[in-house]
Amino acid sequence: MTAADRLTRLFALVPYLQNNQGIPAKEVAAEFGVSVREILKDISTLWVTGIGDLPGELIDFDYDALEDEGLIFIKDAEFLPRPLRLSRNEGVALTIGLRTLRETADAAEYAVIDSALAKLEEAVGDASRAPVDVHMEKIDPTIMSTVRQALADAQRLDIDYTTQSRDERAHRLVDPLRLFTSEGRHYLEAWCLREQDVRIFRLDRMLGASLTGEPAEIREAEPRDLAADLFASPDAPFGVFALDRGAHWMIEYYHATDVVPSSDGSGLMRAKIVGADSAWLVRFALRHADTVSVVEPEQLAKDVAAAARAALSAYDGTIPRVREVPPATAKE
Amino acid sequence: MARDKPERLLNLTFMLLSTSRFIPKEQIRRAIGPYREAPSEEAFERMFERDKEELRSLGIDIETGSFDSLFGDDPGYRIRRDTAELPEIELTPQEAAAVGVAANVWQHPGLAGDSSRAVVKLKAAGLTIDPSVLSVDEPRLRAEEPAFDAMLEAATTRRPVAFKYQREGYDVAERHLQPWGVLSWRDRWYVGGFDTDRGEPRLFRISRVQGTVKFSGDPGSYEVPAGAKLRDVAAALFPPTPDRTAILRVAPDRAHGLRAAAISTVALDGSVEGGRDEIEVPFAVASDLAAEVASYGDAVIVVGPVDVRDAVVAHLREALV
Repeated sequence: MTAADRLTRLFALVPYLQNNQGIPAKEVAAEFGVSVREILKDISTLWVTGIGDLPGELIDFDYDALEDEGLIFIKDAEFLPRPLRLSRNEGVALTIGLRTLRETADAAEYAVIDSALAKLEEAVGDASRAPVDVHMEKIDPTIMSTVRQALADAQRLDIDYTTQSRDERAHRLVDPLRLFTSEGRHYLEAWCLREQDVRIFRLDRMLGASLTGEPAEIREAEPRDLAADLFASPDAPFGVFALDRGAHWMIEYYHATDVVPSSDGSGLMRAKIVGADSAWLVRFALRHADTVSVVEPEQLAKDVAAAARAALSAYDGTIPRVREVPPATAKE
Repeated sequence: MARDKPERLLNLTFMLLSTSRFIPKEQIRRAIGPYREAPSEEAFERMFERDKEELRSLGIDIETGSFDSLFGDDPGYRIRRDTAELPEIELTPQEAAAVGVAANVWQHPGLAGDSSRAVVKLKAAGLTIDPSVLSVDEPRLRAEEPAFDAMLEAATTRRPVAFKYQREGYDVAERHLQPWGVLSWRDRWYVGGFDTDRGEPRLFRISRVQGTVKFSGDPGSYEVPAGAKLRDVAAALFPPTPDRTAILRVAPDRAHGLRAAAISTVALDGSVEGGRDEIEVPFAVASDLAAEVASYGDAVIVVGPVDVRDAVVAHLREALV
C-alpha cells in the first residue's frame, strides 16, 4: 500500500463513516480491502485532524462504542460530506478499464457498460475523453457464451477444433478448467479426453462448441505454462532461417532466439524459430517464402522445396484452367 | 516525523476546504503544528510546496488568490468545494459491477493503484460495488513497456516528445512526435501522432522505444487536428475488409483454415481430382491470400482470379531456391 492509497482512504473514510454511522470496524475493513488494524490506525489519525484546534473543530469518534463493541460513530466531520473528485489518472485508469471490458464483453452487456461510462463522465471530467483505444480479439459470441456456460455449470464440452500445425479439424470432448487471455488472444485450458491430458485451445480456432449435458470430471491437473506450451517446449523441432528486412517483425512475434544480423549490410537476419512440429515449420517457410529462407537443417530445406515443387506442378498443365471470378458485391 | 504527514495533509485540506475566503499563508502556518514548528521560514516554505504538490497528485487543487481585495499583496489559498468534491453519481448495481470489473483490468502497478483509489472514492459516495452481479469475462490489460507511462501522459496532456526508436534491422534513430493517443492492439501498446521529422502521421510500437522519453514542450502545446483518428494512423494493424473472392480447389480434409473462411463449398466429381472441394473465399489483398494458399502446398490450388493464381506461382517459386 502506498502513501497515496492511505491518504485517499483517509479522505474517503470521512464521508463514508458519516453515511454509515455505527458500522462495525470489521465491515469497513472488508469494504476497503485492508485489515481492521489499518482501519483503527486510520481512525486514530482522523481523530486528531479537523478544520482547527478548537472544540468542535476536530473530528470526534464515540470512544465507548468503538472500544466496547467495535462500532464506529463519527461526528464533527460535516465539513467533508462527499468524497473527493477522482484525479485525472484515476479517471483515465477507470475509463480505459471500462473500454477494455466492452471489448471482451457480450453485446448483451454493452448497454450497461456504456451507461456506466456516460455516468462516470461527470465524475472523471476530461479523463473520459482519454485518447486510448483498446482492441482485443473478437470471438464468435455464441462460442464464447457456450464455453462460459460450460465453465459455470462444470459441463463437458464438445468443440469443433482446427489444429493449424497439423492442418486437422476434429471434434474434441473437453472438460473446461479456465478461460484466459494472453498476448491479446482468448484461450481455454481444458482436460482433453482424446489426449488424456490438459490442453490449451484457442477460441478463434473453434468452429463450434456445444454443451454435452454431461458433467465435467473434476481432476487434479497441473496447470500448463502457456509460454512453455506455445513457444518453447524443449524437444520441439526448430529451423534456422534467414529473414529479409520485411520479416524482422517475426523475431518478436515468433519468439525467435539466436538472432544474428548479417555483417554485409544486406539487412538479413539469422534467427532460430521453434515450431510445434516439422509440418508447422514447412508451412511457415512456404507461407513466408517471399521474405524468409531456410538455412538449416538441410532436411527442412529439402522438404520445403519438395512441397513447393509439388504445388507448382498443379499449375504446369491445363488443369485447372484459370476461371475469372466476378468481383463480389459488398461482401463482408 | 513521517507519521505526522497524513495528519498535516488532512488538516491543510480540511482548513482550506472549510472556507470560501483565501487564507493567507501566515495563518496557515500558525494553524498547523508541523508548519508552526518548522525550524525556519525556508523549511516551512519547502514543506508547504511539497504538500501542495502531493495533494495535487491526489486530484486536490489548491487555488492561489488574494485574500484581501483592498490590501492584498500576500497570496492566500483555498480549495473550491465544487471542484474538490465528487459530483453526485448514481449507478445501478449492474453499472457499479461493471466499474468494479473495470477497476481490476489493469496489470500495471500505477494504473491498478489509480483504479482502486477511484473505487474507494466511489464507495465513499455510497455506491455498492459487487462485481459478481455481472457475469462477464475479467479481461486483463498489461503495460509492461518501460516507455508506456510517459507516452500515456504525453497523449493525455498533449505534450510533444523526443525518444530513441529501434526498428528491427535498422539503426536506432531519434524521433519527434506530437502524440494523439495510445492504442492497445492484442496486448501490445502503440503510440500514434504527428511525426514532426517526417511531416506526417506515424505509429510507433512502444516496446521499441529505447531509454527514457523526453518531453520536448509544455502540456497542451499542440492540437490534435479535427477529424484525426488514431484508428486511421494504425490502419496497418487492422486487416482490410475483403472486397473480392477467390475460387480454390482444396484436398479432402485439408486447409481447414481456408475452409472455415469459405462462403460456399461445392464437392467436385470425386473421380476427377481425388475428391477435392471447390470453395469460394473472400479476400482483400491478393498477396496475403497467396501466402496463405502457398502454405498448404499442393493441398490448395487456385482456380481464379488470375492475379491470385500468378501470385501463388511466384510465391512458390521463391521457396524453390
